[in-house]
Order: sequence, then C-alpha cells, then structure tokens
Amino acid sequence: MSTVETFTWLALLLPLAGAVINGVGFRVWKGKTAGVIGTFFLFAAFACAVVAAIKLKSLPHEAQHATSVAWDYAATLGIDAQLSLLIDPLALYMTLVVTGVSALIHLYSVAYMTSDEGYVRFFAYLNFFVFSMLVLVLAGNFLILIVGWAFVGAASYMLISFWYRRTTATNAGIKAFVINVLGDVGLVLGTYFIFKGTGSLDFLTTFKEIEEGAAFATENDGDLVAGCLLLLVGAFAKSAQVPLHTWLPDAMEGPTPVSSLIHAATMVTAGVYLIARMWPLFEQAPAAANVGAIIGCATLFIAATIALTQTDLKRVIAYSTMSQIGYMVMAVCSGAYVAGLFHLMTHAFFKALLFMAAGSIIAAMANVQNLDKMGGFRRSMPFTYGCFIVGGLALSGIPPFSGFFSKDEILAYTAARGDWHVALAVIGYVAAFMTAVYTFRLIFRAFWGDPVKEAQELEAGHMAHGEHVNPANGEPEDTHVGFPGPEHHIAERAPEMKGAMGVLAVLATIAGVLQIPFVTHWVDTFLEPTFEGSFYFEDLHPSDSLTIAGMVIGASLGLAGIALAYRLWVQKPGTTAALIERFRPLYSLSFHKWWFDELIDAIIVRPAAWVGRVCDQQVERILINGVLTGGTTGLVKSASAAVRGVQSGFLRYYAAAFALGTVAVTFYFLVA
Amino acid sequence: MTTLLAQAKIEGPEIDWAGLSPLIALIGGSVIVLLLGLFRARPVREHLVPFVALAAIGAALGLTIWQWGENVDLIRGAMRLDDLTLALTGLFCAAGIATVLLSWRHIAPRESAHGEFYSLLLASLAGMVVLVGATDLITLFLGLELLSIPLYVLCATEMRREGALESGLKYLIIGSVGSATLLFGTAFIYGAAGSTNFAEIAAAIADEGISDSALLLTGVGLAVIGLAFKASVAPFHQWTPDVYEGAPTPVTAFMAVATKVAAIGITLRLFDVALIGVSDVWQPAIAILAAITIIVGNVGALGQSSLKRMLAYSGVAQAGYLLAGVVVASQAGVEAAVFYLAAYTVMNLAAFAVIVARQAQRPDGDDIGALRGLGTERPLLAWPLTLAMLGLAGFPLTAGFIGKFALIQASVEGDYTWLGVMIVIGSMISLGYYLKVVATMWMTSSPEPGEAKPAGIAPGPPVMAGGSPEADDARAPWEVVLVGGVFGLLILAIGVYPQPLFDLAQDAAASLSGLL
Repeated sequence: MSTVETFTWLALLLPLAGAVINGVGFRVWKGKTAGVIGTFFLFAAFACAVVAAIKLKSLPHEAQHATSVAWDYAATLGIDAQLSLLIDPLALYMTLVVTGVSALIHLYSVAYMTSDEGYVRFFAYLNFFVFSMLVLVLAGNFLILIVGWAFVGAASYMLISFWYRRTTATNAGIKAFVINVLGDVGLVLGTYFIFKGTGSLDFLTTFKEIEEGAAFATENDGDLVAGCLLLLVGAFAKSAQVPLHTWLPDAMEGPTPVSSLIHAATMVTAGVYLIARMWPLFEQAPAAANVGAIIGCATLFIAATIALTQTDLKRVIAYSTMSQIGYMVMAVCSGAYVAGLFHLMTHAFFKALLFMAAGSIIAAMANVQNLDKMGGFRRSMPFTYGCFIVGGLALSGIPPFSGFFSKDEILAYTAARGDWHVALAVIGYVAAFMTAVYTFRLIFRAFWGDPVKEAQELEAGHMAHGEHVNPANGEPEDTHVGFPGPEHHIAERAPEMKGAMGVLAVLATIAGVLQIPFVTHWVDTFLEPTFEGSFYFEDLHPSDSLTIAGMVIGASLGLAGIALAYRLWVQKPGTTAALIERFRPLYSLSFHKWWFDELIDAIIVRPAAWVGRVCDQQVERILINGVLTGGTTGLVKSASAAVRGVQSGFLRYYAAAFALGTVAVTFYFLVA
Repeated sequence: MTTLLAQAKIEGPEIDWAGLSPLIALIGGSVIVLLLGLFRARPVREHLVPFVALAAIGAALGLTIWQWGENVDLIRGAMRLDDLTLALTGLFCAAGIATVLLSWRHIAPRESAHGEFYSLLLASLAGMVVLVGATDLITLFLGLELLSIPLYVLCATEMRREGALESGLKYLIIGSVGSATLLFGTAFIYGAAGSTNFAEIAAAIADEGISDSALLLTGVGLAVIGLAFKASVAPFHQWTPDVYEGAPTPVTAFMAVATKVAAIGITLRLFDVALIGVSDVWQPAIAILAAITIIVGNVGALGQSSLKRMLAYSGVAQAGYLLAGVVVASQAGVEAAVFYLAAYTVMNLAAFAVIVARQAQRPDGDDIGALRGLGTERPLLAWPLTLAMLGLAGFPLTAGFIGKFALIQASVEGDYTWLGVMIVIGSMISLGYYLKVVATMWMTSSPEPGEAKPAGIAPGPPVMAGGSPEADDARAPWEVVLVGGVFGLLILAIGVYPQPLFDLAQDAAASLSGLL
C-alpha cells in the first residue's frame, strides 16, 4: 500500500476510532474527555489528509487517480463489489474540507456542549458522522457510495433529534430522514440504471467505459438519462434542493454545531460532490445536467426570497445555505466544476463561521433564536460581531472576501455557456443582491440598535438564563435534555470557541486567493487530474471582459444590497412595515416559504397517510395478517408440531422410521 | 536359524511417515493420555491429561498445516492426503481443541476417569481423519467405526445421569443400524464394481457400463442412507435431538461439529470421486433428502425450549444446506461445502461454549429461560451466542451469510435452483428460533431471585449434573468463555473478510478432480 493510500485510509478510519471509543466508553468519560478524544481524532485525520494530498500531488499526473482496494466483498455473479476507495484529487479535496472544517467544529463543540447531559453521545455521533461523510466522498464504487450516503443520512437523523425529548426535534429528525431516504432510493435506482449499462459498480471502470464508448455510446441514451436523473434525486434530497428542501430549515432543531457542520459545511454539499464526481455521466447525458442546472437556479432564487422575511436566526442562515448550494448545483450541472467545488470550500468556511457566531448569540440569548427579540449585541460581543461581519461579507460576495471570488466564478462560467444559461446567471445575480440584503438584515437586527435585556446583562458581566421551555413551541421541558443546561458558553469567554471561529474567520477572508481570476489557479491545478478529458473543464472559459464585468456587477450588487439593508433596518427602521403592507402577496409568499410545506403536505403526506390507513385497516389486518401470514405460520407451526409429535423418544419408532426411509430410498434407486 | 534370519531380507512396506503424521499424533496422543490416566495424583488427572490431549491435537494441527499442499496416496491407495483431507483435519483439530477446553472442568471426565475420556476423544478424532481421507471402502468403514464407537461411550460418560446413559444407548443401537446399512451398501458396490478402491470403482462404472446395474444402485442407495444417518439427514435424523440433549454438552458440541464435518467430507469424496459416474441417479435423491432435511430440521427447531435440542434440529437443517454442495457435484459445490463446514464449525462451537458456561453457572443452563437478561448481565457470554445465532441464520457480515451465499450460488450454477430456493425458505423459517434466542438475551430482564419459574419450562437436569442452585452466581470457567469469545470473533472476522477462507476452500475443492 502506497503512502497516499495508507494516509487516506488512516484519515477515513480515525474518526471511526473516535466514534467507537466514545460510543463504547460513554459511561467512563467524564468532563470534557470525550470532546478532547473526538477533537484529537479529527485533527489527526486532517493531518493524514494533508499528508495524503501532498503525496498525491507529487505523483505523476496519470497516477493521481487510483482505486485502493481493501478486499473484494463479493466478486461474483457479474458483480464487482469491493471495499475500495477512489483516491484522486477530488476525493482528497473533499476529505480536506470535511476533516478540516469538522476538526474546528469539534473544537468549538468541546466548549459549546459542555453543560449538556449527552456530551459523550454527541461526540460519538459527530465522529460517526465524519466517518460516514468520508466514506461517501472516498467511495471507490457505487456500493460504498450508497453505504456512505445512507450512513450520513442516519447520522444526520441522530443529530437533528439529539434532544430527543423535544417533540419538535424528533419531528424534524423524522422529516429529514424520510426525505433523505427518498434520495437514497433515487441513488440506488440510479445506480441500477448505470450498472445495467456498464456492468460495473466501480467508478473508474464505469467512467472508462463511457469515455471509450463501450457503454451508453449515444448522447442522451434513455437509460443513462434516467440513471442521471435518479442520481439527481439523491443529490437534491441530500443537498436540500427544491422541492426536496423542506427538511433543512426544520433540521435547525439540532444543536448549533450540528447545523454548522452537517447542515451547512459538509453533508448538504454531498449532492454537489456527487454531480462533480459523475461528470463523465452527466456530460454524456446533457438533458439530465440541464434539469439539474435549472433546479439549482430555482432553488437559489426561491431560498433567497424566503430568507428575506424569516425571523428565526438559524433558519435564515439555513435558507441561505440552500441558496448557496443552489449556486453550486447550478455550477456543476453547467460544467463549471471547479467553480462549484471552489464555492463549496469557501462556503464551508464562511457558513460554518456564521453558524458558530449564531450559536454564540443563541447561547447569550439563553436559547432564544427569534430575531425580533435580539438587538444591540455589538458592544457586548465584539468578537462574535467581528466574525459575523466577516462571514456576512464573504456570503454577500464583497471583495476581497472568499465568497466574492467563488460566487463570481460560478456566475461567469454559467454565463459563458451562452444560450439560456445566461438567464440562469442573471437570476444568480439577482439572488446575490438579495443575499447581501438578508445577510445584513441579520447583522443589523441582531447587533445594532438598542441593546436588549440579555445584551445589557452581558455587558454587566452576567449570562441570561431563560425559562425551561422549548423555544420552538413553548412546551415546558426538563433541564436534563436540551441546551443550555445550568451554564452555557459564548464565543467571548470560551477559548475553544474563540479559537475555532478565529481560524475560520481567517480562512473565510483569505481563501479567495486560491483562485483569483488572471492571477492564481490553484484549485484548477489541484483538481485537474480528476476532470481530465472533460469537455467543459478544458474548453469552457469565460472571456476576459465577461470575467471583469461579472466581478464588477457582483461586487456592486453586494454593496447595493448592504446599502439597502442599512437604509431599511438602521436609518429608517419603520420602512419594512410599510413595504410589507404594500407588497402583501409577495411578503406572504416569502414568509410562508412559498407554501412548499403545505403543498407537500396536501399532495403527498395526506394522501399517503390515507392510503396507509386503508392498507393498515383493510389489507394488512385482513389479507396479510389473517390469510397470508396466518396461513404460512399456521402451516409451519403445524409442521413443527408434527415433527415433534413423531419424536416420541422411543427407539422402536425411530428404528421403524429408519426402516421406512431405507425402503423409500432403495426403492427410488432401483426404480431410477 | 540365526543365519536364516540374518539372510532374510525383510522388506518393510514403504511408509509415508510425513503424510501419516497428523494421524500418528492423534493416535499416539490417545495412547499416552490413556496411560497417563493411570496415575492417581489429582493434578495429573485433572490438568496434565487434558493438557497432553490438547498438545496432541495441537501437534496434529501443526502437522496438518505443514503438510498443506501435499497431494499423496497413503498406504497403497487406501487413504489420500490432499488439501480436502487437510482442510477438514484442520476443522477436526479446531473442534477437538474446543472440546478439550470445554471439558476441562466439566463433570463428564471426572465421572468417567480423565484418561479414558480424552483418550476416546482423540481416538474419535483419528477416526474422522481416516474417514475423510479414505479412498477405499474398507478404509471408509474403518474410519466410520473408529469415529463412532468412542462417541457411543463418550455420550454416556456422565454415568450417574440417566439422560446421558439413555443417550449413549440410543446412539449405539441406532448407530449400529446405520453402520450396518452402510456396510451392506459398500458390499453391494464392491460386488458390482469388483473393487473397493474409489478410483477403480469410478473406472469400473465408466468403462464396464454397470451404471444401471441393480447391485450397484442398491449399494449406492444404502451408502446414501448410512452416511445420511451420520450427518443426521432427515428422515434418518431422529436420534439427533435425543442424543444431543442427553449427552454431556462438550461431547454434544464435538458430535454436532466434528461428526457432521466428517460425514459431509466423506460424502463429498465418495460421491464426487467414486460414484461420479452415476451422478444423474444419486443427485436427485440427495437433493430431495436435502430439501426434506431443511424443512424438517427448521420446523422441528421451532418451539424447542432446550437449547441443545434446538441446536440439534438446527444442525439437521444445516446438514440439508450442506448437502446442496454435494448434490451439484461441481468444483463450486465442494468449495461452498468446505467453506460452510468451516463456518458451521465456528458458529456451533461459539454457541455450545456459551451453553457449557451457562450450565456451569446454573442447573437449568440448557434452557432458553436461563438466557433471560444475559445481555446486560454477562455480555461476554451474550455476544458470542448472539453472533452464533445470527451467523446460523445467515445474517450479513457473519460467516454464515457468506457460506450460505456460496451454497446458493453453487446450487444455482449446478442447475439446482429450486434447492437454492429451499435454502432461502429454510433460512426464513430458522429466524423464528434463532432470533428468539437473541431476543431472550437482550430484550428480557433476568427474573428476580424469588420469582417463580414461568410455567411450561421443563425443569433442569438433576442437581448432580450441573451443580447446585446456589451455584447460580458461579463464574463460568474462563477457558469456556475464551472458546466462546474466540469463535464468536471468528464468525465476524470470516463474515467481513472471507477471502482467505475462500482460497483455502478453493484449494480443498481443487483436490477432487473429475467433477461435473
């Protein structure tokens, strides 16, 4: 096993080791031990990923994508199921992002979750999530991909429902799980269609066959398009794209580090990774890729409009996450792979940072997330404020912050595709303007204005303590389960949280230098071996004038958005109410989240529940339970009674049975 | 006279000592153990004797590994030492080592004298090696008797318990009928083919056109029955539950595992080498027997409250699965059968170790009720049994899953798809009793000390057999727990990383040539 392989396997297995150690020793670890263990394993995994990436880049070009097989699981009956990793620049790029951001969020959680009863459980879950995510991004074949995909969904479910005594949390977990399983089904069926054509589960073999025309030789082959569309269903469910997005805002019921890690930085970008990984398939099935681009564009627009009016701090950021992933999906479906993946990385930095800062505010507010009740935290929490500003500027795409470079690269490349892709880019710019508005709406409303009671107390050196009620629905709850417990932490006072946020703030500021137009192309160079042979990777480049125009438009739209937000919420705070009155229908559309929840409830959930009831009462109880199951088990039971009845314990009967058997067998042989 | 002797050149036969070495280790060990048993000192009897037995089996195992890859005829073609023999000998040694460990502090050797107990065990092991290596009808019968007769005695070693005596006697009488049938069958085969050697029988069937002679076919039929009896194939299985339940548990473990391996092993060799020419006649017969066995074993196991009885029926069902590997008479079939034999050995030894441990702790340790609350109280015992049950049921990530998969694949490739379907149906039924054990361990809590026993559970064996009620909290002997743990881990290890065992099974299968 080469060095690259060894270190990649280590990076994969270290989080698993952390999960096992924390999971097995949940009664043993006291205090912050579990957090330290979990964080240590994550930093170790990140170090291994760095070593693996450096070693990989020192290899010759063509050796930079290889499958590392641990062993064959079932190499039989025309199936080539192996326990294998595909180690190439893309996989290691994702590994670096996942382990790096996860390590920081683990560090943050060490302090943030201290007073929670389920401290050890939290770290066991979190480590397990990272392991699952690494299985997903390192998978060398469809089988392992499906395993990782499902594991990630399970980990997300466990963490959303982490405070399992809150009905809101368990309901959100169920919703997320159901929608994610829908995506799993899409992924499995998509795999079936692709496997049908290529006869191989292995990624590299599949890609090679498609490249050489051995399978799916014609463009837009029916099976391939179907397969790719089903893969997209999987990607949409995981990445919260319209209309499978409704679980993501609800998932904010989980602890804030979970929102930060899973529902912003890593898991929800799995769909983007999947599409980028499957580029040879999507380039051969442009029809499916176009569907993906349009859905991505729709999501980025819809989510941005919703984010404008929501009042829950974390939900606004959640809708912003959806919107940003919409950009990425649109990018990778339009052939701008590097731009999409670059945005994936910068977004991981600034969105994780925003969530962490939000967690700090929520802790200071004693678990209240309602924006209406916040205000004036600027003086009492200067560090959090600074981090929020950095994250907000990056999200709004203001130069020279990282988000500026990545978002503009996406829009420039999409526009460079020409035709109707230009329309997508225009919508992207409109949404970018809205992004700046809603981001600074958050900042102005939470940090500016008169300090609320909690902020005043904090200035005086106390922490606010809230009622023991679920802030989401006001249900009373005990102090054993659920944050914040007897004491809670804000970034200003916990060095772990401060450290993690500081690193991310620096990264969110400077990560753009990796890919400055006309100057640096580091992400391009790093990922080149993965996309070798891709038509779009090699030939799709925006012209110089387009790039510059895009950057100017992007930056000015961002600044205009901030200016508008400043006018609406700082200079003339009452204006919004008047605007709501004037544009009541538009406001309702946004405030009620385009009625997606109600729509899905009416056309899917209710009919399904009705069918379920009918099946339960009629089909299940009478036909299945009574006739089918009852009949079969009755048969087996009576056979069992018969066998036991013959077993009398008397030797003479045994001898008789033996003799009868002998006669029967001998008779058969003589007759045959 | 002296000069005459001096002049006479005594030409001893050529003896392949290396090839015979595993067998010699076992037989030699048997003799030494018997003699050591004459010493009266307690440490010698109770610890040195089993230790020497262990050493002898260990030596045999080492020699087996040393001989791996050799393919030679021994004793003028009476036996053959090839990878199949060696692989199965390895399984016998594993079973033997486990049995010695399980018996170390068991009551059975104490009651019957240690020297005799372990000596008989080693003799039986030697018989199994002879049996699976046999390439001659005479050797076959010799091996069969050498394996059976010590077992009849071993079953009755708990001399003061009625059940053990009954078990030994039943086994003796029914076993004799089985042996007689087999002997009868071999005589017929000899009569038709004119030779007792497997290769020559095969040649005779191929060349002399006797494949439809009534003499030969009757012989084949009777041989099927004799071996079916040893492998506890329905409808010749009825001794199994009674004998398994009555015999001392370590002996039951040995019988359940080693005897089955031996019987299936010789069935593979006899039918796939000597009788391959009449395969179209015996294939359907064995397939039907396999199907009956799968059904009878699985439905019989439902509703048993004695774990040993349940495992006896489960063993019957597993024999049915294994026969699928014989039926198809192909390279894949032999490979699958050998793989599954190994998996079966590992899974059953883990299960029996837990029962032995449980019986050392409480008098009704064999009853399923004794498992209540085991998961929380004694996880070291609960886990091996859980893995064994899941493995026997064929859950993924256990050895049983891979083994069953291989058997089903072999059946399908050998045009016996319906038999593969039968295996699946049997597995489905088997969940009914395997999962019950798992559920009892993990999902019920142990009854309070004062709580009355639930009705319907048979009372445990008399106090004499397993210790007094006060011994409820007794610690299980550590070597028994070790056996359970090691084999439990192996179930998982083989299930996750089956390739090495597959390679082994492939080598073993490759030593039979001329398959379909």
